[in-house]
Amino acid sequence: MTDQLSTAAPAPVLEARGVGKTFTGVAALQGVDFTLRAGESLALMGENGAGKSTLIKVLTGVYQPDEGQIFLHGEPASFAKPVDAQHAGISTIYQEVNLVPLMTVAQNIFLGREPRNRFGLIDFRKMQEDARALLATYDIHVDVRRPLRSLALGMQQMVALARAVSIDARVVIMDEPTSSLEAREVETLFRVIGMLRSQGIAIVYVSHRMDEIFAICETVTVLRDGKVVHNGRLTDLSRVELVALMLGRSVEKVKRGGVTAFGEVKEGEGEPVLTARDLSRKHQISGIGLDIRPGEVVGLGGLLGSGRSETLKAMAGVMQLDEGSLTVDGKRVRSGSVAAAIKAGVVMLPEDRKAEGIVPNLSIRDNIVLAALPRLSRAGFTSRAKQDAIVDVFMKRLRIKAASPNQVVSELSGGNQQKVMIARWLAMNPKVLLLDEPTRGIDVGAKAEVQALINELADEGLAIVLVSSELEEVVEGSARVVVLRDGSVERELRGSEVTEQHLMAALVGENHAPADESPAEIKERL
Amino acid sequence: MSAVTSAVRLPQKGAALVFLQRYGVYLAIALLLLFNLFFTPNFMTIDNFRVQFIQVVPVLIVALGMALVIGTEGIDLSVGAVMALSAAVIPLYIGYGPLPAAILAVLAGCLIGLANGTMIALIGVQPIVATLSLMVAGRGIALLVADEQLKSVIDPGFLALGRGTIAGVPYSVLLALVLVGLVAVLVNRTTFGKQLVSIGGSRRAAELAGLPVKRVLITIYILTAALASIAGIIQTARLSASVPSTVGNLIELSAITAVVIGGTPLSGGQVKVLGTVAGALLLQLIAASLIKHNVPDAYSQITQAVIILLAVYLQRGKAVLK
Amino acid sequence: MNLHATPILKSLACAAVLGFALTGCTNTGTTTGGSGGGSETPEGTQQSVASSEGPTCSIEDYGAEKIDLKDAVVGFSQSEKEDNPFRIAETQSIKDEAEKLGVKKLITTNAQSTLSKQISDIQDMISQGAQALIVAPLNSDGLEPALQAARDKNIPVITIDRKVNATPCEDYVTFLGSNFVEQGKRAADQLIEGTGGEAKVAILLGSSGNAVTTDRTKGFKDQVAAEAPGIEIVAEQTGDFARDEGQSVTEQLLQANPDITAIYAENDEMGLGAQAAIVAAGKTPGEDIQIYSIDGTRNAVEQITAGSYNGVIESNPRFGPLAFQTLVDFMDGKPVGQDIIIADSEYDPSNAAERVSSAY
Repeated sequence: MTDQLSTAAPAPVLEARGVGKTFTGVAALQGVDFTLRAGESLALMGENGAGKSTLIKVLTGVYQPDEGQIFLHGEPASFAKPVDAQHAGISTIYQEVNLVPLMTVAQNIFLGREPRNRFGLIDFRKMQEDARALLATYDIHVDVRRPLRSLALGMQQMVALARAVSIDARVVIMDEPTSSLEAREVETLFRVIGMLRSQGIAIVYVSHRMDEIFAICETVTVLRDGKVVHNGRLTDLSRVELVALMLGRSVEKVKRGGVTAFGEVKEGEGEPVLTARDLSRKHQISGIGLDIRPGEVVGLGGLLGSGRSETLKAMAGVMQLDEGSLTVDGKRVRSGSVAAAIKAGVVMLPEDRKAEGIVPNLSIRDNIVLAALPRLSRAGFTSRAKQDAIVDVFMKRLRIKAASPNQVVSELSGGNQQKVMIARWLAMNPKVLLLDEPTRGIDVGAKAEVQALINELADEGLAIVLVSSELEEVVEGSARVVVLRDGSVERELRGSEVTEQHLMAALVGENHAPADESPAEIKERL
Repeated sequence: MSAVTSAVRLPQKGAALVFLQRYGVYLAIALLLLFNLFFTPNFMTIDNFRVQFIQVVPVLIVALGMALVIGTEGIDLSVGAVMALSAAVIPLYIGYGPLPAAILAVLAGCLIGLANGTMIALIGVQPIVATLSLMVAGRGIALLVADEQLKSVIDPGFLALGRGTIAGVPYSVLLALVLVGLVAVLVNRTTFGKQLVSIGGSRRAAELAGLPVKRVLITIYILTAALASIAGIIQTARLSASVPSTVGNLIELSAITAVVIGGTPLSGGQVKVLGTVAGALLLQLIAASLIKHNVPDAYSQITQAVIILLAVYLQRGKAVLK
Repeated sequence: MNLHATPILKSLACAAVLGFALTGCTNTGTTTGGSGGGSETPEGTQQSVASSEGPTCSIEDYGAEKIDLKDAVVGFSQSEKEDNPFRIAETQSIKDEAEKLGVKKLITTNAQSTLSKQISDIQDMISQGAQALIVAPLNSDGLEPALQAARDKNIPVITIDRKVNATPCEDYVTFLGSNFVEQGKRAADQLIEGTGGEAKVAILLGSSGNAVTTDRTKGFKDQVAAEAPGIEIVAEQTGDFARDEGQSVTEQLLQANPDITAIYAENDEMGLGAQAAIVAAGKTPGEDIQIYSIDGTRNAVEQITAGSYNGVIESNPRFGPLAFQTLVDFMDGKPVGQDIIIADSEYDPSNAAERVSSAY
């Protein structure tokens, strides 16, 4: 399929032909063909478990392919270990920066190949000058004498990138490079990627974030179940088509439900079950008011730092408030107490599932009943029968895939862990469910299930507040969206206003959607 | 110590490592018993086992509490001082009879537990720091209470706790068994026990799930102190004297060792009650074997160090396997 | 035994075994417990000189300045925590005597079993104007900097209860104390007499690496080897000078060696622990199994009168009178002995009842 690319396409830098890799009888890769040309930026896409990581590891010498061949500049190549791949000009940038935090920026860039003076000692002056010059070519200006860890995470990533490129890299593989970056840092990263491409360096970009993929990638290779299912230009694909390829579903089926699995959404009716007034905490949020009615999903939009997570935390009693009141069914809820919030029926799915949600060493059963335990006990003694009854219901209903309720929760996939978390709260019969990034870091299939579940729960009359950094999730999942900016409510989008277009405008503080693209057009593009 | 040498080589294979992590302590006990069966005169006698069980009681009871604290990802270094305090209190109130004196001794110990728990749960002091301060201060208080004196205790009812038996089983051993049972039920069958391991597994998650984290933590440090107080009472009854300056010296290390070799990870989130019992028994059997073979003190110390290293090594292996 | 290396090796060992041996490092080496407390000095308990042979030391020899104690500041440096009767009685005795003699000011410090603290304690007292020093050294070695500081100002130093490895009359004036080897030897004599020279003996050692332990063991074993071929030492295990350890270890030993007929404990506390273990094993202490120990605490001596303990060699802690007498003589220009060994009495069934009041 790469033949469709322009005839003037440069020669391939890195190729894989018929690569296969098997782990204890399970084929992780089968007959994978992969081509990367100089100056190209290629998105490597696929669900979790599709074989992306395995392919990267084969390309970088972590694994050796069981079959097939890798070609570098048209010559057969094999990398016995990662350092061989590095020497051959293939660098990898991971989510976590793999450098020495206590060393200076300059030392990190030249680690292992420090410039020497005529006495054979490290020439620190030259090293610093070179480091500064190198970073300046990417328009990065930092004091290269500072220890690496004193820099922001994004800046550290740039340093890692600069180091990788300065080792004469011809190929840079980036595995979820933006997962811990702020928006501004992402911009810098993209700018640097542009410069690298203009120097003829090829980029392999792995990310779950569609916006980024479409922003910077030229071509795409889609993997599913260890096989390449698509190779081609990204501009030839719509988002829906791309998702359909990853999921292996027909475009029509995906289109009917949009990119997400949300169904019809409607605004709630009747009296609000939760009323928040004037929620304020110094430097975080100020004067936030919300009304949530039974049966509706209210999106809480906002950029990072807008106060959306803080608002959820305030309502869930996790964060102490300076001012403000929260009432549930007309009864005032004491602020700053998780127990009081839960008792009133307000529960929150925390953003950081691993650190704040699951108790990793406990079983699925123990995790599900964690909050409900006192209700399932008599005089402080637990009842296995009562627990099993409730665990059984939720494992079936939420389709939690596990060997048994006794399985340790840390062994589950992210999606199943998230379902366990939702089950924990549903077991409490809540009135209001606060969801902070409910689909972050879980694979596409589980994502769809969680989204469908949110729909279903709203239909059953639960009031839901949804926070997500994925615009389409907020837009398609919510009946109305309250947009926060700098800790206050910027505006509320209702009905036909609930579009990515309006949402984006509101996020940055513009009152009206720009005129050049109508909501209908955006829907069309999706 | 054939158990030791074999254990060092085996962890090459994952399965063997898992087996040793789970059953290593029981295997070591079995090997040690086998060794003594052949090489130690008068070992396989009822009297001897009675002695071993009597001697293990204080460490075992303290280790039960330690297991709870470690289950919450904490540690309690003040248990020895609590034993000293409870020992110091006994002679002051023995005039009221054994039971009131014992109750007062436990209450005094619980005060230290309350102080630990308050510092840790409410103020947020690290457990090792909070309990270290009470380890020092607690013994000082005990010496003050006792007027820095050793006092003989002669109340026959009280001494029966150290010497009396039912059908040949010493009271102290029976009491320890009851406590083991209670702690096992507490950990495995109560809401409190589940909350305890949840806090150890992820304190933040427990807080966000609305668990009464602070209350549970304070209660656990009080429980641990109560158990240590009981150990102090038993030790006093056995010695027929209150010796606050030495009772419980370094027992925190024995207790932590017993808990860790029993399979409870120092990182919290699990409590192995039976493993803790086995860990304490193993330590006791090692000490007994060394004494009975008249091994000089220095070698005994080195052996203990090897055991601790091995236990911690296996725990680390567990983390790697995960 | 190399007295210098032992404590250091010991402390390394302590670190190496994660503090398992800390009791071994901090224990007093004398007694743990007693009911007298030592706040009053009963009549007839004063130390007396057993031997003061050999060279003497006068104020001219040492080169100190002559002072009147009534106008003088005297410093006393105690080595170990005062949580045991020996140390309590020792400090109290010094304080009582200073008051009795009308010393202008007595400064007392306690090194809390830390060598570096004892050095700084002594240096502090010198800077506070101490004109004479009484020092209970924590260790045989390591006090050199403190002694040097005293020497620089020609301040006389009297060491008590433990001897330092230094030159008398040059680095310090004199040593007053018991002979620990002799104590072990006398305990052996008592045991030989009590058992008629036929016994299987278990030794409860003091803390490992402690000079007191070494000496009391050596004195005992040498005397047994020399005098009583019929006595067999079947076990020697440390009880760390503590009662509970003494009890636990004895329980184990009695199990493994049911034919033990006598126990030699290197302090009274371990002896009392052994006694409890013997009772627990269903035997009669004092008869089935004899017990001998060193210290002279009231608890142990009372057990002799009760017939369930066999002998105690005293280690007298009341250094006050003798120490100050030595100081007065020294200031008066009289030569004093460089090595004054005090007379430790002993308790056996024949004298325990009448002398129990002099136990501490």
